[in-house]
Amino acid sequence: MNDSDLDKKLKAAPVPARDEDYWESFPRLVSAKLRLTPARRPMVERHWLPRLAWGGGIAFACLVIGFALGHWHGQKQKNDPYALLQNGKMLREVQTLFPNRVRAIVQDEHGVQLVLADQPDVPVSTPIYVRICDGKQCSSLVTFSGQELEIAGQKVTVLADAQGGVIVAGNRFAWSSDRQTGASDGLKIEAKSLNSTTL
Amino acid sequence: MSDTDEEKIWVLQSRDGHPEAFESLIRAHQRMIHSLTFRMTGSLADAEDLAQETFIRAYRRLDSYQGTAKFSSWLYRIAVNTCLNWRQRELRRDQIHTQWTESNAVSQSEPDTNKPAGEVQAALMKLPAKQRAAIVLTVYDGHNHAEAAKILGCSETTVSWRVFAARRKLKRLLNAQGGRNE
Repeated sequence: MNDSDLDKKLKAAPVPARDEDYWESFPRLVSAKLRLTPARRPMVERHWLPRLAWGGGIAFACLVIGFALGHWHGQKQKNDPYALLQNGKMLREVQTLFPNRVRAIVQDEHGVQLVLADQPDVPVSTPIYVRICDGKQCSSLVTFSGQELEIAGQKVTVLADAQGGVIVAGNRFAWSSDRQTGASDGLKIEAKSLNSTTL
Repeated sequence: MSDTDEEKIWVLQSRDGHPEAFESLIRAHQRMIHSLTFRMTGSLADAEDLAQETFIRAYRRLDSYQGTAKFSSWLYRIAVNTCLNWRQRELRRDQIHTQWTESNAVSQSEPDTNKPAGEVQAALMKLPAKQRAAIVLTVYDGHNHAEAAKILGCSETTVSWRVFAARRKLKRLLNAQGGRNE
């Protein structure tokens, strides 16, 4: 086999085709991920010199306001590093982008992941916030009642009852928000319904 | 208006925070990036993950795009580096490679009705990642060795050597597979 024969053989192997729906939804999926992940892209400063004075003033004002707000909310922020997931606006935006397809938005040490259903068959219901720690790592997510997901290496089903309580069931455990007990395998679970007042 | 002019406008609008402009850039290049990531991973699922990662990285680095090179070349470089750096996915690649070798068939989730294509991809997966990247760049995407060297961030000589070594191995692998099929 010479180089030309090899090239022909290589080029004759096509990349598996994807349907048009995939190509249509892929840009929106990337956009959604960009919205979910905190922006780290620095803004372009085209005319930085004239803005320096303004910037200094604003920075000082922000420092004062930030200090005041930080003093008020510092403890709350410490206790709730996953506030992004409980952001109602963000959740509504993602649901608008992918109607009836959002199974969960998961945040863990790797970042934020969007879990979508193949078909638009996820019923509209009150979002549920779940946080599971297995001793080594923690995963937080917002999902909906009836969804089966893999979290912290465990397959779990998240359910909500009529009273707003949450049940998290795995292969070897069942946890209820009413009793706050029932987890096993070294798992620590926290869950709550995100009703309109929470959001 | 040429595609390049349109792209420049999309880049500027994306920098100013217009998501629809960046979606237009994705639409324009998504097939090229998916082809690359599939050739590099041999898995549709990994290819999708890496394509997403490529566009997310590109968005975050838009300010570093000078506009002197083609946007596609700049994006392509990000994609290649993303593929080369994704160590965790490489582990999964090795698993896929093992499955292919043992069963001589692709996984159930990605049925392959085109056996020669599966053999070629399996052979590609047996190459070291950098050699595979050199073959994808030069054979599939038609870059010359100088262009491939820029994208890969190495010398032209290194690219030439990688292409040579990859071709030698691919010929051996594909000849052996051809012999088994006869």
